Amino acid sequence: MSALPDIPVLQTERLTLRAPAERDFQAWVDFYARGDTRYVGGPIHRNVVWRTLAAYLGHWAMRGYGMWAVEERATGTFCGNVGLWFPEGWPEAEIGWTLLDRAVGRGIAFEAAAAAREHAYGALGWDTVISLIDPANARSIRLAERLGATLDGHVTHAQYGRMAVYRHPGPTAAGARADATGVQA
Amino acid sequence: MSPEDMRAGEAIVAPTPVLQTERLVLTRPVPDEAEPWIAFRLSPRAVYAGGRSPDRRDAWRRFASQLGHWQIRGFGLWSVREKGSDRLLGGVGCNRPEGWPEPEIGWLLFEGAEGRGIATEAAAAARADAYARLGWAGCVSYIDPANRRSIAVAERLGCTLDPDAEKPDTDPCLVFRHPSPAALAS
Repeated sequence: MSALPDIPVLQTERLTLRAPAERDFQAWVDFYARGDTRYVGGPIHRNVVWRTLAAYLGHWAMRGYGMWAVEERATGTFCGNVGLWFPEGWPEAEIGWTLLDRAVGRGIAFEAAAAAREHAYGALGWDTVISLIDPANARSIRLAERLGATLDGHVTHAQYGRMAVYRHPGPTAAGARADATGVQA
Repeated sequence: MSPEDMRAGEAIVAPTPVLQTERLVLTRPVPDEAEPWIAFRLSPRAVYAGGRSPDRRDAWRRFASQLGHWQIRGFGLWSVREKGSDRLLGGVGCNRPEGWPEPEIGWLLFEGAEGRGIATEAAAAARADAYARLGWAGCVSYIDPANRRSIAVAERLGCTLDPDAEKPDTDPCLVFRHPSPAALAS
């Protein structure tokens, strides 16, 4: 595998999913210093945020997939990171999402996560995928349920503690669901 | 190009060279090198190299971050091997994560690689490349005051203690300043 991962660009109706980049850094620093980061491990110091951004890129190199930066197509506004995440210590590969406060409440995470799932089932040929969610994170659980995922037990993570495992519908069911909700990936 | 210009690392597209010294080959790290790095991060040797990882999860994440450092900055720690050997001896080279006031030359040697001048030889090559190819105007090395072997490497590289230099955040390290490009050339 090359040291330089070839990170694909995905387009949905409203969004572009592209490679994480250093130009996203300041928005993340502000978010992890002042935003609602209860369920995403915050607050986090800017030095650690930078290393996390770097780790996103390293994850792409090591796994061949990873987290995308999500932008609104109309404005180029950076919304957050959504993608396929399987670092050491995860029970299996997941669809993850962390949205900046300004991007919450407009279905952006749903649209981006559906595109990431389609990439996982299509280009990558996966036959299952989960999302790991803090059991107290009601908003994220609602999103998983809108995506058709269902509770499939719990795991204890070394850093994040007890996490709910939401399992997404498989490729065939997810494809039918995406058609029904008008997701374009 | 100044060190500040190098922060726009996304624009760097030239392929990374391979550096050669009398005994060593320095290459850009690749994902396949994760295991020796994880072993290093879990070992007591990592105490002076940003801290020991509590578990594989943390060590893996830190290696991923090292790969990402290369992508963001266009430079990073080189993988060091002896010519003709596949065995990874450590990581030596350019380091500038967020929070570092100045570009650094760092050196981390894995178990069994110490005591043969490998860090000094690799760091001199990495520094020459940083000055010639990356256009660095100068650099420092941040070293724990208790890390005597590393201080000895800095001194062999011609570094001098700079008590007035800014340090990375709250790190109680010593700052050793490397000779400038002009001083090395003279």
